[in-house]
Amino acid sequence: MTHMMRRRGRALAGLAIGTAAMVALAGCTTTTPEPGASGDSGEATTGGTISIAQTNAVTALTSATPDANLNTNGMVDYLMGNATGPGSMFYVDSEFNVVPDETNATVELVSEDPLVVTYTLDPEAVWSDGTAMSTTDMLLSWAIGSGWFDDATYAEDGTVAEGNQYFQLAGSTTGLDTTEFPEIDAEAGTLTLTYGEPYVDWNLVNLIGKPAHVFAEQAGFESVEALATFLEETPAGDPEAPAEANEQLTALAELWNTGYNITSMPTDESLLVSAGMWVPKDFQADDGGFISFEPNPEWRGENQPTFDELIIRFIGDPNAQITALQNGEVDIIEPQPSADTLAAIEAFGGTLIQGSQLSYDHLDLTMNSEVFSDPAVREAFLLTIPRQQILDSIVTPVQADAEVLNSQMFVTNQPQYADAIASNGYSDFAEPDIERATELLAGATPTVSILYNINNPNRVDAFQLIQASAAEAGFVVEDAGSADWGSLLGSGSYDASIFGWISSGVGYAGLPQIWQTGGGGNYNGYSNAEVDALVDESQTIIGDEARIDEIMVEMDGLTRQDFYGLPLFQVPGLVATNGTVDGVVYNGGQTGAIWNTWEWSLVG
Amino acid sequence: MTNTAISDAEVGQSQARLIFRRFVTNKTAMVSFVLLIAIFGFSISAIGLGPIPGWWHYNFYAPMPTADEGRPTLSIIPEWLGGSGISLGDHPFGQTRIGVDYFAATMRGVQNSFVVIVLLAGVATVLGTVVGAIAGYYRGWVDAILMRITDVFIVIPTIVVGAVVGRMTGGLGVSFLAIALGLVAWMGIARLVRAEFLSLREREFVEAARVAGASDARIIFKHILPNAMGVVIVAASLIAAAAILLETALSYLGYGIHAPERSLGLLVSENQSAFSTRPWLFWYPAFFTVAPALLINFIGDGLRDAFDPRQKRFSIRRTKELPETTEQRS
Amino acid sequence: MLSFIVRRILASILTLVVASFIMYILTAYSGDPLMDLRGSNAPNAQLLIGQRIERLNLDVPPPLRFFGWLAGAAGCLTPFTPCDLGTDLNYTAVTQLLPNAAAATVRLVSAATILAIIFGIITGIVSALRQYSAFDLGMTFVSFLLYSLPSFLAAVLLKEFVAIDFNNWISSGDSSIGFIPTLVVALIVGAIMQALVAGSARNRVIAFAISGGATFGLLYFLDAIDWFQNPGLGWGGILLLIVGIVVGVTAVLAGFGNRRALLGAGIAGVLAYAAFFALQGLFAISTIWTIGILGLATLAVCFVIGWVIGGPDRGQVIRVTMLVGFLSSLLVVADRYLQSWPAYLASPRINNRPIATVGEQTVGLSGDMWLMGLDTFTHFLLPTISLTLISFAGYTRYARAGLLEVMNQDYIRTARAKGLSERVVITRHAFRNMLIPITTIVAADIGVLLGGALITERVFAISGMGALFNISLNRVDVNPVMGYFIVIAITAILFNFLADLSYALLDPRVRVK
Repeated sequence: MTHMMRRRGRALAGLAIGTAAMVALAGCTTTTPEPGASGDSGEATTGGTISIAQTNAVTALTSATPDANLNTNGMVDYLMGNATGPGSMFYVDSEFNVVPDETNATVELVSEDPLVVTYTLDPEAVWSDGTAMSTTDMLLSWAIGSGWFDDATYAEDGTVAEGNQYFQLAGSTTGLDTTEFPEIDAEAGTLTLTYGEPYVDWNLVNLIGKPAHVFAEQAGFESVEALATFLEETPAGDPEAPAEANEQLTALAELWNTGYNITSMPTDESLLVSAGMWVPKDFQADDGGFISFEPNPEWRGENQPTFDELIIRFIGDPNAQITALQNGEVDIIEPQPSADTLAAIEAFGGTLIQGSQLSYDHLDLTMNSEVFSDPAVREAFLLTIPRQQILDSIVTPVQADAEVLNSQMFVTNQPQYADAIASNGYSDFAEPDIERATELLAGATPTVSILYNINNPNRVDAFQLIQASAAEAGFVVEDAGSADWGSLLGSGSYDASIFGWISSGVGYAGLPQIWQTGGGGNYNGYSNAEVDALVDESQTIIGDEARIDEIMVEMDGLTRQDFYGLPLFQVPGLVATNGTVDGVVYNGGQTGAIWNTWEWSLVG
Repeated sequence: MTNTAISDAEVGQSQARLIFRRFVTNKTAMVSFVLLIAIFGFSISAIGLGPIPGWWHYNFYAPMPTADEGRPTLSIIPEWLGGSGISLGDHPFGQTRIGVDYFAATMRGVQNSFVVIVLLAGVATVLGTVVGAIAGYYRGWVDAILMRITDVFIVIPTIVVGAVVGRMTGGLGVSFLAIALGLVAWMGIARLVRAEFLSLREREFVEAARVAGASDARIIFKHILPNAMGVVIVAASLIAAAAILLETALSYLGYGIHAPERSLGLLVSENQSAFSTRPWLFWYPAFFTVAPALLINFIGDGLRDAFDPRQKRFSIRRTKELPETTEQRS
Repeated sequence: MLSFIVRRILASILTLVVASFIMYILTAYSGDPLMDLRGSNAPNAQLLIGQRIERLNLDVPPPLRFFGWLAGAAGCLTPFTPCDLGTDLNYTAVTQLLPNAAAATVRLVSAATILAIIFGIITGIVSALRQYSAFDLGMTFVSFLLYSLPSFLAAVLLKEFVAIDFNNWISSGDSSIGFIPTLVVALIVGAIMQALVAGSARNRVIAFAISGGATFGLLYFLDAIDWFQNPGLGWGGILLLIVGIVVGVTAVLAGFGNRRALLGAGIAGVLAYAAFFALQGLFAISTIWTIGILGLATLAVCFVIGWVIGGPDRGQVIRVTMLVGFLSSLLVVADRYLQSWPAYLASPRINNRPIATVGEQTVGLSGDMWLMGLDTFTHFLLPTISLTLISFAGYTRYARAGLLEVMNQDYIRTARAKGLSERVVITRHAFRNMLIPITTIVAADIGVLLGGALITERVFAISGMGALFNISLNRVDVNPVMGYFIVIAITAILFNFLADLSYALLDPRVRVK
């Protein structure tokens, strides 16, 4: 009897489980089978996908904050028209021209002294979510870039000692910090800036950045207008009399400082609002991840994309990039060129687009070190540097027509370069002159230690070649190379250094950094009163680029006479495609190849 | 040491002699041993060691003009087979892009592999043996503390702590790196030695020594350790093989030895992009990475057989399937 | 038991804290976390340096800073306190970075572990049973070679020779393998098979001829019907393979003498074959959950079948039936995946180059679960193989040594003396005991594999924890490194713990105390 009971109980249980399973099964299917299911539906009518590999992963939808100051984030900015790129006020092309983009706004220089600039919005200017642009968008960008509300004083180490710093910037407030509160005509859509001091890079101020209506919403303002009123009515920060932290400013600053940092695709779509040609579509963080973009539906610009998805894939291993290109997983890569890279890409039928980067490797002598305080020793050492041989081993295999770089101020693809080398005298050091160097040393055998990055094969090879050549003249060259070379710069623990400068290609505000006595990037203790005066003058010139060029050529010559060091070579650059994309143009600037996505098209 | 495999011929010989005999009669292990010595001897004699010059006329760092785009001049196809004869040529393995002789560079890498093997495995073995011996011999709280420390280190994967240690010491040179890595790779041996000591210390000969008044140190080193040598030597050989791979992997990730010093891992990773265009830059160091590790593994296998011949041949009986009834009772 | 677990947990936490301390100190002193800013020529570099020092407390010496980190990390232990593992140099919380990274790594490592265990143990057993045969010697050599092969070297070679060459072949449009490669494959298969058949020269020659000939014929046939472009098993292929499974599983686990096991296996096979026809419609609208439920249902049905017809040796019959049901339904599912292959190849995102060399997925590819499953498969194939190779060799050696050791034990002699067949002796007596030492190896191996993932993830651009560790260590970014370490260390400890427990399960002599 119990046996029967148990059996029936089991049968019931079995039935129950079976029914439950059927229900669950029904619930766990997709309701409609996807037509075609192969992903080929709808592909034929559109322009397809182009993907490009980058070494660094995107970490934020902005690059203007210190946390997010990475080159790949800068590309996102460029594509979204966030203070750079089409859709904002201008972009920089592959020849380092500042190209105004009048899709959304125009810039007009009203007066040089005092410096007054007017920005006018196009009446139809619109964000990618359909919201019209307003002067508040420009006002917010100005408020962020000028540090108007900050009342912080800084300790010597750069930390905030007292007061508040609201919006954190990767760049600096230099330039905008002298402006008065802008005059705004909301009806006409104009904003006018008046500078307190002349600012050499006034034409690089870009006031279309992040959308004000998103900031207004996130920081709890009722409307964009309310935000505008708030910005107008809040007094400027005064470091002399720091106030309590302003809650609303803090809320705005929070979105600016960290709100755009992403580790996965944001669910909040307002973060994706873009002024540019592209809008983020999907994102996966870290090495191996990607960010994809779709065209901005509201885009009204002259240039239109011809394909419907742009993907940036993050591949940290340079060799993996080449294999991925060969395998068709990415269409465009921007590798560091080497003879092997070129040959490997050529071997599988890829297209090579070569150029020169804006960076150059150089040898700097520490002016105040024991061994190099004597100009004769400096000259002797420079005379032993085998610049042609370094070029021949490192650059020529990649770039057959490469030449030794002969200027500290300009690189070969800048038009001023020819003028500079005609007079600066760096060509005197074209080939090593061991005899003359030996003569200058007069039997002495000074010991020179050289700092360089041991993880950069170019620098390692350059060091080895210099070491061998200098030894012939009697120098004892010591290896002070380090992986932590960056932290050792300026520490005085070495006599010479090999490293690279990256020029931005446009703008002159960086000159004091490197050349002025005590400048932040003046690691080798260079000090020349004449140069200091020239640098000071350069920073106050408005609109007279010819004079700035003159000054820089003069400075170039002065550094040569001081035996400052030697530029070695301009770093070669490379963009490669696997032949499926047309219209890719090399760009040595920081934006890289994605600068002209509207000219790209898929082949076949 | 259970001596289940002692044959008549072996009776009457000392344990060490027995093991030695078993090892030298193992052809694979002996050939591997000779080849390994040959490779390291070759690399040391080729470019010299420290101030002693080698027979090869180039060094591993001096740049030279490149000839024939740095192609290797080594030729091993004899003329009568249509090749260009057997000759080394000026740069048998080719040259790097600044013209450094690649044969010398590779040999330097082999030398450094050797340094890594000796120092890393040496440090790890000595440290591991000492820790394991003390823990196993004294037991109690000494054992507890030492084994907790071992646990702490064993939690961290060797390559992870190796990466961190390598980043700290990689720039200081091969010896520093090898010793530092040895300091974090001793845990396996310590555990094995401890287990061996725990069982050996209960044996009669230890009791006898203790009764005879031998000191602890004497018992550990003179009586127990020789009996535990099998475990130590076999484990050391495994560490030696792993050492090569560890150093290679770290150099590949950029945490190990740095240029202009040479390491095989560094050469391989530097020249990975040359894989399809200048394959010799990739394959020569790759070969000299794999070969010593492989040889050491064979030697280790031979040592294991020599010390512990329990894994002797057994024969499978060929039987027919038995009737169902029998099986169901099993 | 409970007190054992509690003591183990307490000891583990202590170990973890001390190990974290060592790791923290080592990482913090391994370089300069401000290096990128010091080398920067940004006008406000000094400000940024100050900010980083302040926000990450870099002015506090590392040994002290560790305790701040520990306090935050301790919050992760209870659900009520905030879990704070600190931030990276970009001020992103580590707790935000870890989950995605861990998911990718776990997927990679678990697949590799399972594959390595299965193939390693099978190869090891066969090697041991054919000790000193050509197969054994060959496998010994192969496993030593794998031991000696740096994992990045294996990864690079896989990419160059497997991915690129296979894709070139597929996308060339000429699907033919060609006569010579077919012959070579057939000869290799024949050589392996004859090495497996220890015995007289005549037997070997026969084995060589039959297996080589069969392979050649099969490849030739598949080639002729363009199978590699349009793969699938079809009703005939499925039938053959299911019959093979029924026969094979029964033979190994129960022996043909056990008629009930054969019956159960047969029923399971027939059901699976019927399901192949019945379920195709359901498959077309399936999600991964559907398949999961179907799988469970299959196992349940097979269990019931086995239970009903089990007779005196019920356990064995149930095992056989369930295994046959599982393997056969796996075949049916695999066939469905193969059916999606042509569509996958034709997708413009794939463009006839299926085997990927970087990343975890084809960006922007969308489709049903079969297509996406194939995409995951093609992306994880090479990294998983290269990771599997690391531990495969180890398992082979240990399984071989383990079985040889066990086969010389007295209880095996006793079992044989009882008159048991060699199959029963091996599957029931030797195999179980051989597994005991292997569990320890599995636990130890997890750490090695997670370490190996460091390199594999880099070569194949997978955004796992290894990549996180690499990038962070390069920047001396202590918090993410510690986040990585914590996950790795807890996994290692957990697996050791599980190994101890399974020890007790497998070996009745061991009791946890």
